[in-house]
Amino acid sequence: MSKNWYRLDTAALIFPAIRRKNWCNVFRVSAELAEPIDPQVLDQAVQALRRRFPSFYVTLQKGAFWYYLEESSRPVSIRADYAYPLTYMDRDELKRNCMRILYHGNRLAVECFHSVTDGHGGMLFLCNLIAEYLENLYSILIPEGGLVLDRSVPAESGELEDSFLRYSAPVASARSTDRSYRLHGTAEPNGFRHLTTGILDSGNLVETAHRFGGSVTSFLSAVMIQCIMELQASRIPLSRQRPVRVTVPVDLRRLFPSRTLRNFSLVLNVGEDPRFGPYSIEDLTGIISHQLKAQATRQNMSGIIASNVLPQKVPLLRIAPVFLKDLVLDAVYRKSGECGGCLNISNLGNISLPEAMLPYVRRLDFIIGPQRSYPNNCSVVSFCGKTYINMIRNIRESELERRFFSRLVELGVPVEIESNSGRRK
Amino acid sequence: MYCVKCGVRLQDGVSKCPLCQTPVWNPDGIKEQESYPEDFPSHYSQSDLPGAVILTGLCAVVTTVILVLCLKLYGRLSWGGYGIGGILLFYVIAVLPKWFRHVRGEIFIPVSHAAAALYALYICLHSGGSWYLSFALPVIGISCLLSTGLFCLLKYIRHGRIFIFGGFLILLAGFTVLIEYFLHISFGVPMFRWSLFTLSGLSAAGLFLLLVGIIPPLREAIDRRFFF
Repeated sequence: MSKNWYRLDTAALIFPAIRRKNWCNVFRVSAELAEPIDPQVLDQAVQALRRRFPSFYVTLQKGAFWYYLEESSRPVSIRADYAYPLTYMDRDELKRNCMRILYHGNRLAVECFHSVTDGHGGMLFLCNLIAEYLENLYSILIPEGGLVLDRSVPAESGELEDSFLRYSAPVASARSTDRSYRLHGTAEPNGFRHLTTGILDSGNLVETAHRFGGSVTSFLSAVMIQCIMELQASRIPLSRQRPVRVTVPVDLRRLFPSRTLRNFSLVLNVGEDPRFGPYSIEDLTGIISHQLKAQATRQNMSGIIASNVLPQKVPLLRIAPVFLKDLVLDAVYRKSGECGGCLNISNLGNISLPEAMLPYVRRLDFIIGPQRSYPNNCSVVSFCGKTYINMIRNIRESELERRFFSRLVELGVPVEIESNSGRRK
Repeated sequence: MYCVKCGVRLQDGVSKCPLCQTPVWNPDGIKEQESYPEDFPSHYSQSDLPGAVILTGLCAVVTTVILVLCLKLYGRLSWGGYGIGGILLFYVIAVLPKWFRHVRGEIFIPVSHAAAALYALYICLHSGGSWYLSFALPVIGISCLLSTGLFCLLKYIRHGRIFIFGGFLILLAGFTVLIEYFLHISFGVPMFRWSLFTLSGLSAAGLFLLLVGIIPPLREAIDRRFFF
């Protein structure tokens, strides 16, 4: 029987091309349950979801002209967790499966190659995996609700589509980005990722963000930008400083009606130039709030989608062999992919689950790996009144995390800190 | 339990703040289970061992075949020396770095040039030529200096790449003239048959890069026009 296969969606095209020998774009979603994970029940749950979420059980294959995803008949790798999240997913592993499941104590984690889906899709898959796992473990019934779908029906075609193609404008918007300040530090030689998690009260965070005149994302971006500006000022004289911007992914499902479980998000760079003068948190929150509102419109996003979609339709590019496309996409990524921001602040928002699951799920986390050329990254998710800010880095210095979380405390948002740095060899 | 410096709340039982490393003198409560286990992935090593093993085997087989063929046919190495030398040179340049987890260009670039110099010496001696000292050694030596210098500058200096590439192109332009000069004194090839073209082209490109680096408005205009 022939296997199903999928073309990579528009956002996913870049990720195979920009992989490196020790880096590829992977993210993690995880949940802490009330009791330790039972690997056998977990295995059953993972197998049971194969029919409902076929686009997650795939391998990355290289065609003559494009990469593509092919449904995998191999079982998904389920194993004990490592000393740090988001260990390197090499070419051989991607040819076996683009997703891995890890467990440690009460925690269940899904790590996924970004060509398969985005953070929203990953979190949705995790929530359904937990629902299936809890049903099998406790013989309870978990109805659909929140991110949990009806798992008795097969995947709909709308869940497997490339929604970018549907919402592309006829004309591409011009994108030019100034180079942002680049964070750097002493690289960890063995690939270790330091993860520092700040746990905050969601109500307090929302209230503080509103007090400063913005949403949670714009407030956290403002705090982060101010910290990076200070960090830059401590290293570089004012005249040679660069603009400080953070990259904020925008979930396009909020702007366009789409049920896709594949990638459907775009990034915006927001920030300011420190050479124009000092900025308070109020200033920055207001500026970033306005920048996000001005850019995250249906019209602007359609134009940006078009700038990614239209090149795919150029006949000469379509018939170029995949290795040539790799070179071009890699050059484009170097030129415009990461240079516009210092780090990502990816906020999945508040996750809701059906009532029946709440007694069994204590916590949810969302972690994105460091980008190819910048060492820090930050991801945020809220669940059951708590906000979890995961800051990851592949360098030794924890100066940015220290400044960021201390600043939140100074602004009246108490933070509880967890870290895996003790596991570093 | 709170860090006295950062003000953040810490997990019970930790001995120091993970943000500022300030020691916690009175860790109260029982230490919670570590959020991550001790296991490291087995593949964090960056060396390409399977590739290195396969290529080493391949080189060994080809070398043995050449050796056996030459000894059977001629009773001596004959042309096999060039073949085996070429394979050794390929091995040093392409296969040797695969054995290492961290490939340091500042070491491997000079090592590769040294291998090339030895191979050239073998060819020179075997063919009875007298061009090694007057041509091969200086050309390989200067190439080694230029490429190692470029690599180190790119690796250790974070800014000013446009100046580095500009300077490199101008030096490369001068190098092509030197190559023609060494060809002239070693083999009697007439001077300035082709090096003037490379000299003018590369120098112009190098000077242009330096100008772009020196004049920010020009750089911005080029960025704007050639943005893709």
